Amino acid sequence: MTTAVPPATDHHGEHESTGVESRKLGMWAFLSSEFLFFGALITNYLLYSSRDFAVGPTPAEIYDIPFTSVSSFVLLMSSLTMVLAHNALSRDDQSATRTWLLATAMLGSVFLAGQVFEFTEFITVYGMTMQTNPAASAFFVLTGFHGTHVALGVIMLLSLFGLSRRMGGLTDRQYMNVELVGLYWHFVDIIWIVIFTVVYLLTAAPGAG
Amino acid sequence: MAEEHHVAHPTPAQYVKIAVGLAVLTAIEVALFYINDATQLGWVNTAALLTLAFLKFVIVVGWYMHIRYEKATVSRFFTFGFTLAFGLYAIVLISFGVLAAGS
Repeated sequence: MTTAVPPATDHHGEHESTGVESRKLGMWAFLSSEFLFFGALITNYLLYSSRDFAVGPTPAEIYDIPFTSVSSFVLLMSSLTMVLAHNALSRDDQSATRTWLLATAMLGSVFLAGQVFEFTEFITVYGMTMQTNPAASAFFVLTGFHGTHVALGVIMLLSLFGLSRRMGGLTDRQYMNVELVGLYWHFVDIIWIVIFTVVYLLTAAPGAG
Repeated sequence: MAEEHHVAHPTPAQYVKIAVGLAVLTAIEVALFYINDATQLGWVNTAALLTLAFLKFVIVVGWYMHIRYEKATVSRFFTFGFTLAFGLYAIVLISFGVLAAGS
């Protein structure tokens, strides 16, 4: 006796036997693997930040905690605008979707500008470069890779915004693209939540803030 | 466009309330940093900051990434990756004595 096989597709795309849309499950698997990537970079930084080096300064000695706190707040709020974009699209409110997508991209750009400012200040004012000591190198690699992820997210958000403007709105098929970009964006945010606490707040030298 | 699952997602107003909660948690984290700078709370500061970060992490994953409303398969994927990474790197940090030094 055989049982009826449910349709393989619905308006969101193809489903596997897991009951989860294939691309969405792929994105979750990708994000899950990213924990190992960022975990390695954070661990690398922690291993070196706990050591003393003859040549300084180390990042922990020159952190600007108030500035980084504002940057963290900006990225945190970009998660709000992203989820509002997703929510607006689920209500088929195309205009609001575009507004929130653009707002998310702008907040991401502000965060990136802050990171560029921080890097520039560390290099030009404090003379801390990639070659100064292993802790500085680990810091630039970690935050640089996170910044690269943010930059990729901004490009994807602006692509969705441009597509929506050109086509007069995002179609049912593109709904999943917004959801996937949203998952990626929120992931970038949670990685920063960890970096801000573990790399900045917990390792900053007394009086550094 | 209908939602994929039957459980209702939060409303925009609820999303804003969640964001306010996240902002408050961040403000507490920064305040703790300065309190520790002045009074040296030691392991209490470390435990409090890690707890606050974990809370923010769970809120974003649960409500903004909608993992609360997804099928168990998704949660398993995500939890597996996180647990594997956390366990692996915790062992590395303990092996090198970094966690002991940090406390």
